[in-house]
Amino acid sequence: MESIVCNGCSLLCDDVAAEVSGKTVNSLGLCTLGHTHLEKAALQKTKQAEKDFEKAADILTTGENILVYGWTHATNEAIKEGIELSSLLNGYMASSIDLGATQVMEHDINASGLGIDLEYVRNNGDFIIYWGSDPSESLHRHPSRFAVLPRGEKIPEGIESRTIGVVDVRQTETMKMANHRLVIPGGKDADLLDVIISELEEKSSIKDKVLGIPGSELVGFVNGFRKADCTVIFYGSGVINSGNQETNLTKIAKLVEVQRNNGKEAYALPMFVQSNTMGVEKAVSGVHSLQRISSGEFDTALIVADDALAHLPGPAAKTLAKSHIVYVGPPGGLTDKRAAVSIHTADTIVAGTGTMTRVDMNEMEFKKWKASKEDATISQTIRKLTELVRKK
Amino acid sequence: MKLNPMELYNLLPKTNCRLCEPKTCMAFATKLALGDISPDECPPLLEAGFEKNLEKLREMVAPMLSAEATGIKLDESKCTGCNNCVVVCPVDVAAEPPTSQGKAAMSTNTVFRVENGVSKIINLERCRRFPPDRLNCRVCEQYCCTDAIEIW
Ligand code: SF4
Ligand code: SF4
Ligand code: SF4
Ligand code: SF4
Repeated sequence: MESIVCNGCSLLCDDVAAEVSGKTVNSLGLCTLGHTHLEKAALQKTKQAEKDFEKAADILTTGENILVYGWTHATNEAIKEGIELSSLLNGYMASSIDLGATQVMEHDINASGLGIDLEYVRNNGDFIIYWGSDPSESLHRHPSRFAVLPRGEKIPEGIESRTIGVVDVRQTETMKMANHRLVIPGGKDADLLDVIISELEEKSSIKDKVLGIPGSELVGFVNGFRKADCTVIFYGSGVINSGNQETNLTKIAKLVEVQRNNGKEAYALPMFVQSNTMGVEKAVSGVHSLQRISSGEFDTALIVADDALAHLPGPAAKTLAKSHIVYVGPPGGLTDKRAAVSIHTADTIVAGTGTMTRVDMNEMEFKKWKASKEDATISQTIRKLTELVRKK
Repeated sequence: MKLNPMELYNLLPKTNCRLCEPKTCMAFATKLALGDISPDECPPLLEAGFEKNLEKLREMVAPMLSAEATGIKLDESKCTGCNNCVVVCPVDVAAEPPTSQGKAAMSTNTVFRVENGVSKIINLERCRRFPPDRLNCRVCEQYCCTDAIEIW
């Protein structure tokens, strides 16, 4: 067994180990999602044929309006190479995550200093709230590694030293660990945030049921904020994909501010799923690419490490499918199949080189191991393409 | 096996006489279900008229009170490999201290270790429910969100 870094989700677990022999993949510490991802990645074949590079460079140099798209599963180094290639091609660099909500988060939450190191959460977070996010569905190890169960400097007894709250529109598995379980009607996040804020600012007092939650339960939840020294809100798709993400996020920021005004520590962090969402956030600032893709303005597309044709909403995918597609990434998927030319790279978990940015802005460096295919990384492939394009 | 406190409650005198330490019959039933108290600690239950109930209750809680008759089952098909059990189990924390800080178990000394994406019980006999400890621990079951762990 060798130590590796998992890119099965945005937690980028670096305390895990794996070995590959023949078709057998063994791992230690990886959750189900991570192990499945590793198994798939380890058995994939790379394909780096010179003629494919030539053809790809031809398509890209003859294209008129070029979309350079994908990136959420690419390393920061690859993104950098992509930005260079894109500017060389006079292309439009965009990513699946700037399609809407996540972009709002970048500005409202991270820019306003609400984020915090996950290790700090482990050591200090005594009031943890999962708001519209269910780690037992996607970021399996979030509670055990950082937020709920582990012990830390000011958390000597692990979960016994923390209070856990879960706010969601339905019962979730994570609620099993929670002290406060609040099920609210869909789209009512902002209303609940208002009630909590006004209660904490002593501008009102809860008496009866609010949004179907018994008054006493809600008072208990609000008291959690009062008692806590370090509150951390982990908000997820339930908050972001509800249609009023801007309002929701502004109010979460406000709640954090109220806590801070009361002399407490408070933070808010998103729960992303795709491995390098944060790296893309930092580097790519494309806006509303969805409209531009749907409008058909791009005749050529370089798609990197993302099955865009499968993930984009129907109309956008349909329009994009009509363009000349060059695909760079691990084999498989609709985009790979429909591309005019595909260059198959190793998934970063086996490539074993490069960095991705964890949700708390920590740069996680991939580790080289026996199964590493260092010569077939996305970043090298893009660099080689760039060189060819430059010559043409 | 999990005991249903309501079923146990129905066999109690239901008088809330406050003669037991939990003071109410419902609280008593809850403790019974966890194996934290024995039916014999309810004085009215030992009086005439309750023989049948007492016997039934003793039968029902017997597995809860005897650590030797205990067992843990881990249903791999429900497990997501979240590592919660690894991190909360007191044995794991002692055997491999980094697990207490959320790290995955790497040694062969823990009770739980997540292998190929699912948790495996690799040292059942070290569980504190078994002799010599015979403690009524069930934190792994408590914090397994998918109910993959079952203790009886
Ligand atoms: S939680 Fe995410 S990064 Fe960690 S092992 Fe699971 S899939 Fe991989
Ligand atoms: S002693 Fe028995 S009857 Fe009295 S309160 Fe306790 S359980 Fe109920
Ligand atoms: S019952 Fe307690 S000691 Fe036994 S495996 Fe579960 S957590 Fe560990
Ligand atoms: S706590 Fe449950 S789901 Fe999580 S790893 Fe252990 S057995 Fe699996």
